[in-house]
Amino acid sequence: MKPNFLEIIDINKKFGNINALKNVSLNVSKGEVICIIGPSGCGKSTLLRTVNWLTPPDSGKVILKGEIIGSDTGKMTFEQNRSLNEFRARIGMVFQQFNVWPHLNALENVVRAQIVVRKRMRDEAEKKAIKILNEVGLKDKIDEWPDNLSGGQKQRLAIARSLAMDPILMLLDEPTSALDPELIGEVLSVLRNLVNEGMTMLIVTHELGFASKFGDKIVFMDAGEIIESGPPNTILKSPKTERLKLFLEKLSLTSL
Amino acid sequence: MLEYQIFFDYFPMILLGFWLTLKIVVCAIALGIPLGLILALGRRSNFILISFFATSFIELFRNTPFIIQVFLFYYVLPFYGLRLSAEYVGILALAAFGSAYFAEIIRAGIDAIPKGQLESARAIGMTDWQSMKNIILPQTVSIVLPPLTNQTLTLIKESAILSTITVHELTMTGLMVQGETFRPFEVFIMVALLYWALNETIASIMRRIEKRYSRNRKQNKIVRSKIDFIKSSGFSR
Repeated sequence: MKPNFLEIIDINKKFGNINALKNVSLNVSKGEVICIIGPSGCGKSTLLRTVNWLTPPDSGKVILKGEIIGSDTGKMTFEQNRSLNEFRARIGMVFQQFNVWPHLNALENVVRAQIVVRKRMRDEAEKKAIKILNEVGLKDKIDEWPDNLSGGQKQRLAIARSLAMDPILMLLDEPTSALDPELIGEVLSVLRNLVNEGMTMLIVTHELGFASKFGDKIVFMDAGEIIESGPPNTILKSPKTERLKLFLEKLSLTSL
Repeated sequence: MLEYQIFFDYFPMILLGFWLTLKIVVCAIALGIPLGLILALGRRSNFILISFFATSFIELFRNTPFIIQVFLFYYVLPFYGLRLSAEYVGILALAAFGSAYFAEIIRAGIDAIPKGQLESARAIGMTDWQSMKNIILPQTVSIVLPPLTNQTLTLIKESAILSTITVHELTMTGLMVQGETFRPFEVFIMVALLYWALNETIASIMRRIEKRYSRNRKQNKIVRSKIDFIKSSGFSR
């Protein structure tokens, strides 16, 4: 059997007394788009953040292309720290609050990590940045400061920043939740291009329309556990568990 | 009545004291700010030993009187075979005292940056230090500049205490001239004016730099256009 591209095995995470993740396991093959849905506080963001060890799990393993991310013993050696940073450079992450760097202009936002982490020459990094900013539709905002960009533009800038690192996996944590409704489309269209290019992605989202159209698999989480997962059609049309049914009902109420 | 002749006779001597104060303070700040940065970063280090040392250093120098610190440096160091001139002891004491405050200011500045900034830097593969250098510290500059200036002015005034360990700086020189002339009023007016001139100069330079560093360029533009509007409409009269 072909080994999985990304394996999440038995992840546990506690915050104080709260079990944020309980024995969560998930397999992802290359090119797959996984959409994670669930009520707020169910641990979906935490799951995403354990993949690149932004939130180190209490126990469990994350394996990318056969290599363990972080450490499975809880302690980090110097060597493991170094390899963690190499992993992170290959795993793009997009946040709900964009987290673009306000003291750098749009171009420099995309250039800086290429130079610092990837050790690229400035010429090369700028060329790549301009190409990617062009792709996400920010061609005429290259010299602009993040403070002067709209939410949608900031999020596209954040995506461009990740893409410049040539990621093999993208983690997107509610990429459209902080946006005004009319700006969601421009970000989703950038994501659609990524899907078409065959990028492997884990997306925490409330955009069920996007999830059902472009997701290969939908994962429903509640109270730190994966309750149901499967192709969008089965999950959204014929939910097996009561909890998912309830969740979908609530969502459809708000969309009225 | 003021005796004006004293101003002419003793000003050069007082100026010499002022020159030493200036040299000591510049050295103390040049040492104190980098040390403060190291302490601030050390305090938030994951290595318990480093953070314990940094925290102890900061709390020790923040919570004891400066004059006691000066005495400790001056009288205790020779016990351990470190015989330095009073000027160097003064610089060291002032730098240590200042660095504790500088460290707290820088730490507060780092804490003021939204958590997502560090997370996005780490998530893209930067090490902790790379994130600090490229993402966090540049953003703290505009935040810490005003309190850092304040602390610098405090440090200049505190340097007067070094007169107690025979450093011939401004205050000490003033005391000596006063002893010679028995005209405390004239002498200490000169001394006070020189401290004031130095602090005022630094404050106004820093105000200019602060304006330039102000992060929110958009807001600046609005403020500037408002000022232009007020000027053009004649409100300023």
